[in-house]
Amino acid sequence: MERFFTIFGSIDRRVIFLLIGLSVLIPLIKPDWVELPIKIDNNTQIVYDSIADLNEGDRVLLSFEYGASTKPEVHPMAVAVLKHLFSKGIKVYIVSLWPEGPIMAKLAMDEIIASNLFNIEDGKDYVMFDYKVGGSIVIKNIADDFRGIYKQDYNKIPIETLPIMQGIYNVQDFDFVFDFSAGVPGNAEWVQYACDPKEVPLSSGCTSIMVTDAIPYVESGQLRGILAGMPGAAEYEKMVYEYLSNELVNNNKYINQNANIDKGKAFARMSAQSVAHLLMVIFIILGNLSYYYERRKKG
Amino acid sequence: MIFNFEIIGVWVLVLMTLCILSYLYGDNPFYKISEHIFVGVSAGYVFALVWWDQIWPNLFGRLFPEYVGAGFEFSPIYIIPLILGIFMLFRLIPSLSWLARIAIAYIVGMAAGLKFYVYINSNILMQIQNSAIDLSKSGGEIFNHILILLGVFSALVYFFFSKEHKGTVGAISKIGIYFLMIKFGASFGFAVMGRISLLIGRFEDLISYSSYQYNYATPIILISMIVILGIWSFQSSETKK
Repeated sequence: MERFFTIFGSIDRRVIFLLIGLSVLIPLIKPDWVELPIKIDNNTQIVYDSIADLNEGDRVLLSFEYGASTKPEVHPMAVAVLKHLFSKGIKVYIVSLWPEGPIMAKLAMDEIIASNLFNIEDGKDYVMFDYKVGGSIVIKNIADDFRGIYKQDYNKIPIETLPIMQGIYNVQDFDFVFDFSAGVPGNAEWVQYACDPKEVPLSSGCTSIMVTDAIPYVESGQLRGILAGMPGAAEYEKMVYEYLSNELVNNNKYINQNANIDKGKAFARMSAQSVAHLLMVIFIILGNLSYYYERRKKG
Repeated sequence: MIFNFEIIGVWVLVLMTLCILSYLYGDNPFYKISEHIFVGVSAGYVFALVWWDQIWPNLFGRLFPEYVGAGFEFSPIYIIPLILGIFMLFRLIPSLSWLARIAIAYIVGMAAGLKFYVYINSNILMQIQNSAIDLSKSGGEIFNHILILLGVFSALVYFFFSKEHKGTVGAISKIGIYFLMIKFGASFGFAVMGRISLLIGRFEDLISYSSYQYNYATPIILISMIVILGIWSFQSSETKK
């Protein structure tokens, strides 16, 4: 046993990389081989309930603060949240505080439109704005004077001519703010510069690495729940899938009856995530045992 | 064989992804090339974006509204940010670089002033308020509140260096260390989870671009890279000998 652990300790790191790679690759190629149940976390439930409590015609501001590098984690939650909002007839306003934000927002909206689930119209049911540099300064401006910084939408149409923009002057004109973030500016800046001072409910979906920093805001109620990385996205996708399936049966007027509802991408990715985690836990245990035996050998 | 801009884009995407992943084998020319391309493209992209999305419409759009046509009215006060922006560029001229300090002073002062209030409000006052034990809640929640209070208090004691960490102070600071360790462990766990998520995203793309529709981009580039890396590795070891 001791010999095994000593040999294990000196294994080439590239072998570990290869095994981790295979643990991700195999469940992605053969998803039927590993099917693990998804349990809904309390923070995801709070996010879902907060959006479920919104009414038809309410206005929700979505902020896209992620890019290509964090797309696998955050993008599925953006698509799921958009589906949830449009299924309730809620007006959606999209701003981007990261350079790649408008591209991500466009991809998410294209996915929603391609799904043919909703009869939505640009400028009437949703509006997108281009990237604004400045981070927290832009958030502060949105909080105080939205029209001071946004004069045109993503398609260069003056906002005065858009029906959806009637009555929008600052962050208090929105019923809810949802932030998809992968760094700075992100949910902390939305809490500090806009939603705390103006008392507007805020929720967030963020990358796993940001979760421990955001949890204090969740515990204090400054954030209404949080979608934590890919597991959070998968949980939300599952809840939205079940909700949309029920609403389709109940003839929800905002959902096209002939449309197909898909489960979402994060849902399918969770098996790969879980297998990789399991392998890493095994490596950590074996690595520690190897270290222990090595130290004992040295006396 | 199909050739269009989308296919070319996909081949570049696969090549760049595999070049970056090749670092797992070791530092090599593929990784170096992709790293330099990434830095250059990112800098160029952000520069163009900031110019056309921010400086051109928001600054020049207010100084020359009719020419730019960004929807703003003429506002002479925007001459000040224009001057401050030019001052920043003076850092490139050693004899005039002192002018850049005026612009930097403005940015630092404004950012500090803005952050001061919001940080105290959201991260100190509201967090202190929520660290208090709410006795009207259920037993489990009261226990959680006590745990949070204990964690906050002991972690603060750990960072209190005006008194030697011995006796009661030492014991409390030790509890603080355990709380901090749990926090770091959770952060590390989440960081690992995030990295695996990114790997999943890359693998998904590589799998979907392996098909005939994309001229078998992934297998062709992967095999070519393995062969070239093998030759390069062999030649490097020969040179070392």
